[in-house]
Amino acid sequence: MTLSISLSVNGESLNVPLEDTRTTLLDLLREHIGLTGTKKGCDRGQCGACTVLLDGKRINACLTLAASVDGTDVTTIEGLAQGDTLHPVQAAFIEHDGFQCGYCTTGQIMSAVGLLSEGDAGADPERIREGMSGNICRCAAYPGITAAVLDAERRQSESEGTSV
Amino acid sequence: MPDTLQTPAGHVRLGSNSGQPMTRRDGIAKVTGTATYAADNRPDRLAHAVFASAGIARGRVVSLNVEAAKSHPEVIEVITPDNRPALHLDPDGKSHPFSWRIEALQDNTVRYAGQPIALVVAETLEAATEGARLLAPEYDTDPARIGFENGEAYDPPAVGIGGNPSFSKGDFDTGFSNSEHRIGASVDTPAQYHNAMEPHAIVAEWSGDHLTIDTPNQAIHLARGAFAGYFGIPPENVTLRSPFIGGGFGSKAILVGPQILAIMAARMVDRPVKLVLRRDQMFGPVQHRGATRQKLRIGTDGNGLIKALEHEATASTSSFDDFIEGAGNASLNMYASPAIVARHSAVRVDTGTPGPMRAPGEASGSAALEIAIDKAAEAVGMDPLEFRLRNYAETDPASGKPFSAKSLRECYELAAQKFGWSDRPLAPGQMRDENGMLVGWGMGSALFPAPMFAAQARATLRRDGTALVETSGADMGQGAWTALAQIAADGVGLPVDRIEFMSGTTDQPDAGVAGGSGHTASAGGALFEAGSNAVQKLADLATADPESPLFGAGNTGVEAREGRLFRADDESRSESYADILERAGLERIDAMGSGGRDPANTEARAMFSHGAVFAEVKIDPDLFQIRVSRLIGAFAAGRIINPHLAKSQLTGGMIWGIGFALHEEGIHDLRSGRPLNADLAGYHVPVNADAPHVEALLVDEDDPYVNALGIKGVGEIGITGSVGAIANAVWHATGKRISSYPIHIDALLS
Amino acid sequence: MGAYLQPDTLDEALGILAREPVTIAAGCTDLFAATESQSLNGTVLDVTRIEGLRRIAKDATGWRIGAASTWSDVIAADLPPAFDMLKQAAREVGSVQIQNAGTVAGNICNASPAADGVPPLLSLDAHVEIGAKGGPREVPLAEFLTAPRATVLMPGEMVTAIRIPDVSDKGESRFSKLGARKYLVISIVMVAARLHVQDGFVRDIALSVGACGPVATRLAALEEALRGTPLAGLPDRLQPDLIASALTPITDMRASDEYRREAAVHLLRRVLDDLTLMRSPV
Repeated sequence: MTLSISLSVNGESLNVPLEDTRTTLLDLLREHIGLTGTKKGCDRGQCGACTVLLDGKRINACLTLAASVDGTDVTTIEGLAQGDTLHPVQAAFIEHDGFQCGYCTTGQIMSAVGLLSEGDAGADPERIREGMSGNICRCAAYPGITAAVLDAERRQSESEGTSV
Repeated sequence: MPDTLQTPAGHVRLGSNSGQPMTRRDGIAKVTGTATYAADNRPDRLAHAVFASAGIARGRVVSLNVEAAKSHPEVIEVITPDNRPALHLDPDGKSHPFSWRIEALQDNTVRYAGQPIALVVAETLEAATEGARLLAPEYDTDPARIGFENGEAYDPPAVGIGGNPSFSKGDFDTGFSNSEHRIGASVDTPAQYHNAMEPHAIVAEWSGDHLTIDTPNQAIHLARGAFAGYFGIPPENVTLRSPFIGGGFGSKAILVGPQILAIMAARMVDRPVKLVLRRDQMFGPVQHRGATRQKLRIGTDGNGLIKALEHEATASTSSFDDFIEGAGNASLNMYASPAIVARHSAVRVDTGTPGPMRAPGEASGSAALEIAIDKAAEAVGMDPLEFRLRNYAETDPASGKPFSAKSLRECYELAAQKFGWSDRPLAPGQMRDENGMLVGWGMGSALFPAPMFAAQARATLRRDGTALVETSGADMGQGAWTALAQIAADGVGLPVDRIEFMSGTTDQPDAGVAGGSGHTASAGGALFEAGSNAVQKLADLATADPESPLFGAGNTGVEAREGRLFRADDESRSESYADILERAGLERIDAMGSGGRDPANTEARAMFSHGAVFAEVKIDPDLFQIRVSRLIGAFAAGRIINPHLAKSQLTGGMIWGIGFALHEEGIHDLRSGRPLNADLAGYHVPVNADAPHVEALLVDEDDPYVNALGIKGVGEIGITGSVGAIANAVWHATGKRISSYPIHIDALLS
Repeated sequence: MGAYLQPDTLDEALGILAREPVTIAAGCTDLFAATESQSLNGTVLDVTRIEGLRRIAKDATGWRIGAASTWSDVIAADLPPAFDMLKQAAREVGSVQIQNAGTVAGNICNASPAADGVPPLLSLDAHVEIGAKGGPREVPLAEFLTAPRATVLMPGEMVTAIRIPDVSDKGESRFSKLGARKYLVISIVMVAARLHVQDGFVRDIALSVGACGPVATRLAALEEALRGTPLAGLPDRLQPDLIASALTPITDMRASDEYRREAAVHLLRRVLDDLTLMRSPV
């Protein structure tokens, strides 16, 4: 039997036939829709490389069955920048050298975007480190990642401050 | 540091681009998800392959339900030893020093758990996975040999890749027995797995007898030759693309069995085939750091001078191939001693074959040596830093040769000062923090050789004022594409934004190996020479042309910068590259270059990067949970091309030191031989919260001998020194000496 | 490969359960949704869209945590301090990515000896509400979990909620977990304590230890010994023998049994220190 799901990916409405209920959201994005910016690191929810936002919340796409995301709104790394303008988190990752090989980076960035919108960590580096600990970086670019998230948080709260 | 080099060419200045803290040239691609890693390729008609892994560690596969797998409607092919096509090279052979014996379904023997025993090719990943499951293998099982006690011991002919398994200088026995203070240290290190975030992956496609493969590789041209060899085609028939490598750490330098299987499958089904290892499959066929069991003895006189140093190491390897972690050799080049002995033995166990993993030999050896040195300092009653300075090696302890450059003293000084080492109480167990945690401070010395590999590059100056520079360099995160472009820009005398840098495929000249911390020096040297050779050709054109303002400057010489040639003796006389090319009616001018080292220098000098690492740990006094609260290192590694990226390499290595000291351990079940923690929940690598404060400082170092550019490497040295520093800090906090890594919290209980 | 069913109502779901064997899926964080999992070959019953199943609310008899409530839902919910330990455990269940998907009910159904949610729920006297076509039943959590990876759940049944009785939402609580890494770890030992103080005396106390036996356990004998005693000096009256006798830790690659036993005592003392301190007049 073939199942069909409707979802929004990076603001675009898609209707995707699903031939296998076992297909994960990660494989759906990478192999079916062709959005390969989201990476597979462990396929077990243990590394965070596949982090995307599902209805605004960060989740591991490798643990999410594609069939379950019918009617949801998914944001991947490809949906973050506005044209040529990088999202502040993306820009901060470049500036603070928050990556080396780049493989976990898209997941790190999506996780950081999720973290900032949760608003729990604030500007506390320790909370940021813990909040980012679901994303393993084997190159261990952690000092740069933490600095980048702190910087993005500062910029975000400054711009919120000025807009009020 | 002189900024005009005498070799390879005096007309090119190094420094306008090199040395600048540029951000990564591949940054935008990596933060937007457009950087393509091997598994991101999706050619038309793609088929997916999954291999079945052996569930036993030793024995034979006696049955596979191929029919069940083939009956799955979407399964295309099942490859087993019964139907596997012949290879041109024996997978159990070793054609060159960088080749490992691999498993390519040559027979039904199982040599370790996780070995590929069949390959299923299907229309979808899901179907291939299901097909592999349906094979339901049955085995004839022999007892697994796991652990130093159960393996077969032997004397290895070499350690590492061609390294000497034993070394002796002076009279150790006499020196040791005459020593006033004698200490011994036993240190075990476990098997460790590289676990790059990107699992090994390949997309292979045949077109006639031409093969195109997308696969992460640290040594592109070497791999091309090896792939071609297995399939009996000329190397030029292989196109290998490896533009982005999702972490290598040594495991992607050497060809592995699953890659061969995917290529084989692509030929059998006559379609492109993708094979991506699952994380659990990263704990078998793609190498690891072998376990070691090390014993050190150090004798010192009453003044704390080392009189005798002995380092014995036993390392584990597989039952069918040899890669011996050369841990004992870490004691050959660091501390001065009139008598030094290093010896290795090996034990064969039923695991996959080890391979080079970030600082192979140096990491494990230094982890033990630095504990022993600390014990020796303790025996003398001396501060650990003072003891290390007392035994500072002014010349290479093993060979007696002078160092090409050594700035370790400056590293000690800078890092110790930044850390606040002078406030350290000598005795352990003296410090507590505001929360009642035990606090300890420890240190370690860091060292890594500065090898170079043969490398070539091409530089093309173009009439539009830009340059194309090409070398098949591999960027696995070390920042090669940025640092190499900076060097290349200096080579051609252009700002880096006018450089088109092409790299990462077999279409470019051979850049050698991205490993051994020698890539920037090797490929960078080639790029710089190619650039300066191209500029030289341009200068020859101009100085011979009566219409050029540079006419006749052949003897006084010219200098190249910002896309212009200047007369060396008269700055007012200059001409742009574009004008020279235009008048000569040329669209472009190109030249090749190669990296290398003056053999006379290699013969005469010992060449190493050095560093010093200081660690602070905080330990729960009841539960013994350990946290590395600060890790500060200073490193001297010749000329630093990009301090921004070099620091990231160094802190990354230091955090590997945290993993080595506290977390990483591949555990195999002693009976079944199966890995017990073959995933990232069980095999712990440091997470962000494990590394709250890690800092790398750079010490300027002018090394006029190491190579023309004065470059050493920074990729691996960060892990050396750091591991021992943490273990020594744990001692300083608790008074307990560590005898095995990782440091288990319950080891501090007794 | 089978069907993927996503009913909107509980009746519909129970009807499916009565009809055929299914794999129940909620957050999928323990299901190894990856394709090699055999358990996904049959019909999958996704319970996350069932009306009312993701609600955390109080009724006449106590609190009800719907089976599809995620760990993040628990963290965000307005709950009395007795639930603080559950929220603290929620923050340590894997990464935030896992907390956003994984459910409390899934954690107990998975029945891992190291399940983070179990000790706090035990200390809240949680009951498991089980639905079936023939009618619901309720089982104390301590009886629901029978062995590692085993529960009393029968074919045709599903967990519909976790219930916390009224009498048990009193007092303050703390959770503490030990792992080998700073974050993202499988527990070596964990404890969950709830302390209800009245007029300077222990009116009620609930102490649970996880990862120190096949299933997490309440320290009933110790609780009994502490009930009615003065708050002052409470942590000093922890009797290690009453703790040790209730635990059956094993030695595995994460820690030795000896370490686990000692660590459990230290952790309990610490959480009680903390709770006592909080209740003491400043």
